[in-house]
Amino acid sequence: MTTLTLIWVTFPFLAGFIIYLFPRLDRSLALTGAVASAAFAAQLFTLRSPLTLRLLDHFGVNLLLDSLTGFFVLTNALVTAAVIIYCWRSSRTTFFYAQTLILHGSVNAALACADFISLYVALEVLSIAAFLLIAYPRSDRVIWVGLRYLFVSNVAMLFYLVGAVLVYKAHHSFDFIGLREAPPEALALIFMGLLVKGGIFVSGLWLPLTHSESESPVSALMSGAVVKAGVLPLARCALLLEEVDPIIRVFGVGTALFGVFYAVFEKDTKRMLAFHTVSQLGFILAAPEVGGFYALTHGLVKSALFLIAGVLPSRNFKELQNQPIHTPIWIALAIASFSISGFPLLSGFGAKVLTMKNLLPWQVVGMNLAALGTAISFAKFIFLPHKNLGKAEAAQTLHNSPLKVGFWTAMGLLVGGLFVANLIYYDAYSLENVVKPLATIAIGWLLYWFIFGRIAIKLPRMFEQFEHLIGVMSLSLILLFWMALA
Amino acid sequence: MLEAFVFLTILLGFFGIIFKKNLIMKIISMDVMSTGVIAYYVVVAAREGVFTPILAGDPKGAYADPVPQAVILTAIVIGFSIQALMLVGVMKLAQDNPTLETNEIERSNTP
Repeated sequence: MTTLTLIWVTFPFLAGFIIYLFPRLDRSLALTGAVASAAFAAQLFTLRSPLTLRLLDHFGVNLLLDSLTGFFVLTNALVTAAVIIYCWRSSRTTFFYAQTLILHGSVNAALACADFISLYVALEVLSIAAFLLIAYPRSDRVIWVGLRYLFVSNVAMLFYLVGAVLVYKAHHSFDFIGLREAPPEALALIFMGLLVKGGIFVSGLWLPLTHSESESPVSALMSGAVVKAGVLPLARCALLLEEVDPIIRVFGVGTALFGVFYAVFEKDTKRMLAFHTVSQLGFILAAPEVGGFYALTHGLVKSALFLIAGVLPSRNFKELQNQPIHTPIWIALAIASFSISGFPLLSGFGAKVLTMKNLLPWQVVGMNLAALGTAISFAKFIFLPHKNLGKAEAAQTLHNSPLKVGFWTAMGLLVGGLFVANLIYYDAYSLENVVKPLATIAIGWLLYWFIFGRIAIKLPRMFEQFEHLIGVMSLSLILLFWMALA
Repeated sequence: MLEAFVFLTILLGFFGIIFKKNLIMKIISMDVMSTGVIAYYVVVAAREGVFTPILAGDPKGAYADPVPQAVILTAIVIGFSIQALMLVGVMKLAQDNPTLETNEIERSNTP
């Protein structure tokens, strides 16, 4: 298993560079990387006890793999595979596939490591690869969005580095466990870096613009897999150190409500999805021990939704309401929306039930409110008008036919995954568990019909400006410091 | 004392990122900040001694800790490559925004 793990970590990077030597094999190699990760994740689920690897000495690289990692790795693999299949017939160059594979590898590495320096390296490689993918179309706008992302994440990682050395000072190693002996400022600095990378709470305000302005396959990759690289280390710290657990749970509830508050009022499809990602990360952190399943469900749904949003005729909900969409696309959209609202028979239901069961009493009200907000925001998608378009019209909407095959294969993988993943936690099906989400969805739809669908409130975007993003870091640093002291 | 100056460097870099208007200046401020972080690693490494840790014969004094120095080498390389990447992006942006004022770029590139 040790050798297998090492091969699994290095393979995407190796293959990513080999792609340049054999440009003709780009798609196949990239897909192989994703499939290999999926196979490895399946191996992880069969492990009886967590696998820990310590390379070099006590200050060397430390890897920790268990079934929680397995869920995250599987998410990453499925999302990457779907994105590559989606792009299969497009005119993207070898460079795109190589970067996708390197991004995939760096997310894998970040998920596997259990020491702060390996995590730092993985997260920085991830930012570079993500920047290159965001800036792939080379227009001024995406370059600015990419630069902004790279800037924000690099500044956050500088603070993180200071925190990492404070841990080393106290514990003489960079292991996650060392956080216990480290002073509170170390915890504040490290968590600030991870909160920014993971896009959590106010530190996550860089995320909506970045995810909505990228091309839809890149947004799918970012929202489905990349942000989770910052979230798993946080969940891992909460599981390893019980004194950190309350802090993570507070941030879980906070970010779930914060993200959904913006999502409910948002009038742009991709921005709504991006804000909703922020809120779903909160669900993962609210109950860290079962976050893996939630991450898998969310990754599948969100990447499917971003890919669908890319083929819709408009990004504005108002315009979409006057422009019926092709029925098959609407069906895929509705299935994904139902899953994320927690409708039974789809994996979102099991994930929500499992998370709700593992909440602490003080979290329950907040998380139920967030679930209600999710139902309201996704009513916007479910109630879009749809009709069976004629052949000519349909060809126009799914702009050209070569992409169509890839789109539907990717949808099959992601939406099919939702049905299969539903079987993981079949204990959820009890009367009480089934009635509650249905009631939540019903109330959410009523609220949408009578209140939220009718009002138009435009929330200010001031806090998404670059300088505010950097400034907010110092504020969250102070907040975290006091939380760590308390 | 040394530690205080190191933290001052980090803070100055951080404030530079916020208050400088020009994109290039912001990137240079980020470099100042990362210099501060690197210096902090060196300070931590030299906490107990400054001699190179090569075991040969009798030690002449207390050894410096090699681990933080080795680790920060990776961070230096990463920081420098990110900066190079950013500057390439800035070159591209400069064609349409010759003043490189962040507010202007942001205004014209946010929907």
